[in-house]
Parts: sequence; C-alpha cells; structure tokens
Amino acid sequence: MAGTRPPSPARRLGAAAFAALALAAATPADSPVNVPEPAGLWTGPQHGYTPTTLKGATILDIGALDALMAEQPVLIDVGIMDRKPEGFPANRPWLPAHRSIPGAVWLPNAGAAPLPPADEALFFRRVDELTGGDRSKPVVTFCHPECWGSWNAGKRLVEKGYTRVHWFPEGVEGWQDRHDTTVLRQDPAWAARAAEPQR
Amino acid sequence: MKTLRSLALGLAVSTGLALVPAAGFAAGASDTDAERQARWTEIATSIFGDRKIEPTESLIKVDAPARAMDAALVPITLTMPEKDRIKGVHFIIDDNPSPYAAHFTFGPAADPGELKLRVRINNYTNVHAVAETTDGQLYEAAKFVKASGGCSAPMGMSDEEAMRGMGDMKMKFSGDAQSGKPVEATLMIRHPNFSGMQMNQVTRDYTPARYINKLTVSYGDANVFTMDGDISISSNPVINFAFVPKGSGPIKVAATDNQGGQWQHSFTAPSPSN
Repeated sequence: MAGTRPPSPARRLGAAAFAALALAAATPADSPVNVPEPAGLWTGPQHGYTPTTLKGATILDIGALDALMAEQPVLIDVGIMDRKPEGFPANRPWLPAHRSIPGAVWLPNAGAAPLPPADEALFFRRVDELTGGDRSKPVVTFCHPECWGSWNAGKRLVEKGYTRVHWFPEGVEGWQDRHDTTVLRQDPAWAARAAEPQR
Repeated sequence: MKTLRSLALGLAVSTGLALVPAAGFAAGASDTDAERQARWTEIATSIFGDRKIEPTESLIKVDAPARAMDAALVPITLTMPEKDRIKGVHFIIDDNPSPYAAHFTFGPAADPGELKLRVRINNYTNVHAVAETTDGQLYEAAKFVKASGGCSAPMGMSDEEAMRGMGDMKMKFSGDAQSGKPVEATLMIRHPNFSGMQMNQVTRDYTPARYINKLTVSYGDANVFTMDGDISISSNPVINFAFVPKGSGPIKVAATDNQGGQWQHSFTAPSPSN
C-alpha cells in the first residue's frame, strides 16, 4: 500500500539501479536507492535520482494511486513542455502532444525551484481553486520517473499546510503502463502567467 | 476520403462515448483510440495534404518491439513484400513532437523489400509506415510501441565526446553477390543526431539540434535510396537496406546535417563474380 513500497526505478535504468544496489553501502549518495531528502526544495537539475520519501506526504505506487482515484484527488502534472529545437525546419510538422493522466491539470514546470514569486503564487492559487480551498482534499503531484519537479510541487504543498499530499514518482510512465493516457493542454490560467521562457 | 475519415472518426467518438464508463481511466478501447486516430489524421494531413491513404496488410508491414528496452534506440523494421511496386516509404512516430521521422525514396539500384532503422520514441505511441507505390498511391500500416522519454534522453557523455569522429561511416555486407540478386547492407554513421530536446544536466542548456537531414546512397551511377531524416532518428544512425548489384560499384554514401556538415564515403561493394 501507499508508503510501504519504494517506487520502482525507471525501467531503462533498472540494470544500473541493481548494480547500484549492490554498491549502496559503499556509495552513500548519488545512487537511485539512497537519495536523502533535501531540507527544502531541490534546486539542482530537475532530472535525476529522487528520494523514496517526502516528509509530510504519502508516496504512491500505481496500485495506491488506483485506490485513491475513488476519492477523486486533484491531479497535478508538472512535467515540462516539449521544447522546440531552435532552427527546426518550418516545413516539417512540429506537433507536441502532452499525454498524461485523464483529468489531471497540467502546470508545466511548476516544480522548478526557484520559481519566480508570481508563478509560485499562481501555483498556490490554482491548487487552492482546484481543491475548493479544502486543504485536506487529496492532491497528487507527478511528472516522470526521476523528476524532481513533482517532488518539489509536493513539498511546496506540504509546507503550505495541505494535509493529504501524495507524490506519484512513477509519473505518466507508471500510469500508462496500466491505463490509457489522454492529451492534455496546459492549464489556461498557468499558460497566461507572465511570459517566462517556455523551457 | 476526408469525409469518410471524419465520418469514421465521428463514429469512433460516439462509440467511445457510449462504451466508456464515467470513471474513464478504467476504460479499455474507444475514446483513446479515437483520440489517437484524430492525432494520426492531423499528422497525415500535415504531411500528405488530402491525399488518400489506404490501410494495407500486404504492401507494407512495420515491426518494432512492443516494449522497447531503450526509448532512444528503438529498432524498427519495415517490410515491403511486393517490392517492385514500392517507390518510397515514410515513417511517422505519432506522439513524438516531431512525428515525421524519415522519408526514404528508392532508386533503380534498390531492393526495397526491407529497411531497418533505429529511432527515438517520446511516449507510448502508434507508429505509422506509409508506402508510396510506383503509381503514386499511399498505403499505411501501424503498430503500437511502448517506450518513453527517447527524444530528450541525454547520451550519457559530453557533447564534445558525442561529436568525436562525426561523419565516420562503416558498411557491412551480407550474402554473396550474384548478378541480379539483392545484397543486404548495414550502414553505420557516427553522428550524435542531437534532437535539440536533450538537456545538458550540468549547464542545463539544451544541446542544439544537429541531425542528418539528407542521406544519399548509390551503387555505381545508380541511386539506391535517398533519406530525408529528422531529430527522431537515434544517435549514431544504423540503416539496413538492400541493393541489386548491376555492373560495378562502389557504394557511395553522401550525408549532410542541418548545421552544414557534409560527408562522403565510398565502399567497395561486393560485385557479381560473373
């Protein structure tokens, strides 16, 4: 159930993870199985090994998320937007499609740290609206495996006083292994925020 | 055809609505299928305009692992059994942000029975192979592939290291050359084929896109194939193809990339012993 099982490591790093498991005693950090929680938000690279815990939040695997779905949690996807390469030929189709959990709200890169203060305020405002101001409503943050963004988003909500924060580290990949995904558009309120480079 | 398509799509959508329970996420087919079909229609229109594309079971087949080990290196096999009818092949990865991965046009020295290449796949997606026949018709086949993160996966080395030896090539041949009989060849090109979506984890800058956009292979004076490439082709491209040796070689390969790189190599091809 929730919290009792560490998230499965990303599939393509599976072999590396097992190798690292054997070495875990010798290598205290920077391995997928031993990443300490930072005291606050993680300000390093967003992609990388993440902790298996988030103090004050519940860690979900796909089974636990499935069980939670009956309560209609607020699902917050902070996965970043596909970035169009500079100089991409104008005559070739560029059609990014963000696939995610049906019903989720997509706030691209809302897990970045630091966030511009106005964006951070908007993030809190959107979650407040989505939970109807109820800080005990279940909220799930996710992006992709080995993505600190959703860890940070969960951390922000825990610190804000949300009492039922859930972090789903397997992210869209964990979901699509069992269920259909749907193409999401960026949350309109989030899209309208002061223009920051969309990266 | 456009009308037919929208009609089919409309039917799929309404069927989907009828079948999918309110919970949505527990559902099997239908609304997702309709969404994927709509996506394909959008892409197909952007590439082929309103040209008609017929489904086919016989003219082209696309093979890929149902679940890829490495999303940045997904092996694709395209089989065209009625090879004399095939003029070219388009390969499309529906859910990649840049879906149009490759377009091959075959020349007189080609044996277009089979092509293999390796691609990046961003998400669980349908892939489509569209064959163009010598009479100008289009035929499609599709397969669903489970892989994700391929477009932005870093190469695990510095950009400088990834670009070392850029443009070097090797070619391997299999089978004995007999006049009129096809010879299989594997072309390996050293090139990072940077997608432009890969972030350097240290500097947090995106490595600029640098990919092979044109590849021409010929045997003697006759063209084997020309490929228009894209950021969805894996780093260090490997392409398997076949050609028919008539007369004498060599096999010549000319490649260009989107940043003005140009490379040409010549290989001694097996020539018919008699």
